[in-house]
Amino acid sequence: MTETKDITWAHISLAHGNGGRYMRELIETIFSRYLSNPVLNTQADAASLPDMEGNIMISTDGFTVQPLEFPGGDIGSLSIHGTLNDLAVAGAIPKYMTVNVFIEEGLEVSQLERIVQSMASAAKENNIAIVAGDTKVVPKGQGSGLYLATTGIGIKSGQHTLNIKNINIGDRIVVSGPVGDHGTAIMLAREEFGMHGALQSDAASVLPLTQAVDSIAGLKFMRDPTRGGLATVMHEIQQASGLGVYLYEEQIPIRDEVQTVCDMLGYDPLYLACEGRVVAVVDDNNAEALLACWQQLPQGQEAAIIGKINQGNQVVLRTTLGGERLLDELEDDPLPRIC
Amino acid sequence: MPDNAKYWLDAINALTISTPFRIMNVCGGHERAISQSGIRTLLPKNIELIPGPGCPVCICPEEDIYQAIQLALHEDIILLAFGDMLRVPVNTTKKEPRSLEQARAAGADIRPIASPLDAIRIANENSDKTVIFFAAGFETTMAPVAAMLVEGIPKNLSLLLSGRLTWPAVDMLLASGEACFDALIAPGHVAATMGAEEWHFVIDKYQLPVAVAGFEATSLLAAFYSVIRQQQEQKLFLDNCYSAVVKPQGNKTAQQYLSQAFDVVDSNWRGVGSIAGSGYQLKTVFKQHDARLQFKDYENNKRKRIGEMPPGCDCAKVVLGKIYPNQCRLYGQACTPRQPIGPCMVSDEGACRIWFKYRTDRPNEDHQAETVTSA
Ligand code: SF4
Repeated sequence: MTETKDITWAHISLAHGNGGRYMRELIETIFSRYLSNPVLNTQADAASLPDMEGNIMISTDGFTVQPLEFPGGDIGSLSIHGTLNDLAVAGAIPKYMTVNVFIEEGLEVSQLERIVQSMASAAKENNIAIVAGDTKVVPKGQGSGLYLATTGIGIKSGQHTLNIKNINIGDRIVVSGPVGDHGTAIMLAREEFGMHGALQSDAASVLPLTQAVDSIAGLKFMRDPTRGGLATVMHEIQQASGLGVYLYEEQIPIRDEVQTVCDMLGYDPLYLACEGRVVAVVDDNNAEALLACWQQLPQGQEAAIIGKINQGNQVVLRTTLGGERLLDELEDDPLPRIC
Repeated sequence: MPDNAKYWLDAINALTISTPFRIMNVCGGHERAISQSGIRTLLPKNIELIPGPGCPVCICPEEDIYQAIQLALHEDIILLAFGDMLRVPVNTTKKEPRSLEQARAAGADIRPIASPLDAIRIANENSDKTVIFFAAGFETTMAPVAAMLVEGIPKNLSLLLSGRLTWPAVDMLLASGEACFDALIAPGHVAATMGAEEWHFVIDKYQLPVAVAGFEATSLLAAFYSVIRQQQEQKLFLDNCYSAVVKPQGNKTAQQYLSQAFDVVDSNWRGVGSIAGSGYQLKTVFKQHDARLQFKDYENNKRKRIGEMPPGCDCAKVVLGKIYPNQCRLYGQACTPRQPIGPCMVSDEGACRIWFKYRTDRPNEDHQAETVTSA
């Protein structure tokens, strides 16, 4: 590990992005300090990746959440979980990640340090090595504190070819836990609506969930319902398969706090982001097995079969009352910058 | 009242309803709750639920929106409007902005707001500028606007008022003999403000059942059950199925504000025409805040289709419950929420928009066409 120096500045300034001494110090005292590993070499321009055999998969994502720290997570852990989850639902085990950091001039160094620390522990918990990175500082007013972009590389595991096109009539839709927690927690954390609450974001790695069902026969497709929430994934399935999606409102797990906040503010939790849930489509014969697999995990205790694929060509919700209605495709973003 | 939607649903389904029975609601909130819970798919075939004049944006005169657009384009002002209003199209030439949204894109300072409090805040923050609040709405929305006037409105804030009263439209419809309904569900929020009593005329003058409902499936279903039973037993009474919120006489304070701030005048409804005693106008004491008096009228009498609905749009019939939204030929074809043609597809309170958002039988599928049963 690089020798740790004392941080002598309280806020990030433009000088931290100028490539000179300040920038070196920032990298040494914060980034290398928390993220270092045998592959990461801050002196080199490129890293070579050992142990990469098999079907290599890659995914990339950007993160702009406001506030930067929220109950249950922060932009640092989110940037790791977000990209690793995209690999996980594609059936891969993530191995390496690169990080791009865009800091707005004036960001408190102590906050940056907390975020990088959280990033480091999220990576470590999931056996991911950060192998390359870059830092830029943008002038005050040209960013919202901090933006992160991560790219992840992993290796495909299991026998499945997951493909949305394999979905067929009669398949079941399973969700791994309550929906809308992240979106609602962010809303509360902003305190814009004069509301507070103890609700935590569900932001987490979904790797345990996806790996647990790796050997389930009949698994067709998995996705993490982030931006646009569950409803948006249902529309993706509908459009890609050309079939109908039929959901049972009373089966969809939603926390009481989430429902209450949404009722008060006029949001629908089915459109709010999750950051630690998985939706799976599996053939009818194996749906119970998949559900049981998830329910055994701490993260999947509230998993539920919430719907099925039918021959329609719409996303239809059977309401608690027993009536039917469309679950419309999201028009406007309900919440800016939540992931 | 059993507080369980299933109870009322079963009760209605247990009734023998041998001929079509048409129940009209006059509130976008009711229509949304009905569509959202899928109630229409659960009721006996003979029960028709008809959305009526319940959308203030839909009936806001085209001339008023045109005036708002022109003020924002030509005067040095900030124009505020409820978000729903921004995308409502007016009849102009292709070269001119057709909606407040397009006027904003053309550089006008137009800001969507959610409540009159936002208007006060923006006026105070911009004390060197004239701020005009294009206030369209029914009684419930107008009460806080009235309160703002009475309690002291910022000097630089004026109103382009387009406020309407709901019951005169229902009265007009019934008096015309063209009403397509057998019972009325009175709007819960309006009744909470103005008192349920003002809906008694439906029984007194027209001998039709009426019930006030709230915005939950339970309250709505209880109200449907009530009006069906009233009709079957021929015992009409003004039933209040929203008693937790609607109190006798309504909200006296709100009514006082309304009568202190506004005169009730004959007013124009888009696509419908003038309805007696159906609109609010600023009292003369507030004339220095009346944008209609302060600024020149931009109406150009040669403008084509002044006041009309767009060509091919049946909003005027939809608003009066004469046809269902999907009976308009443009519904779901040329007219969708993304590319709305008429105001009913723009506003969240508009029947076309609500139907398009929640209804499972969109056009192009083999579903039975529904028509409002004629009398
Ligand atoms: S579908 Fe469109 S064009 Fe037809 S009545 Fe409704 S708003 Fe007007």
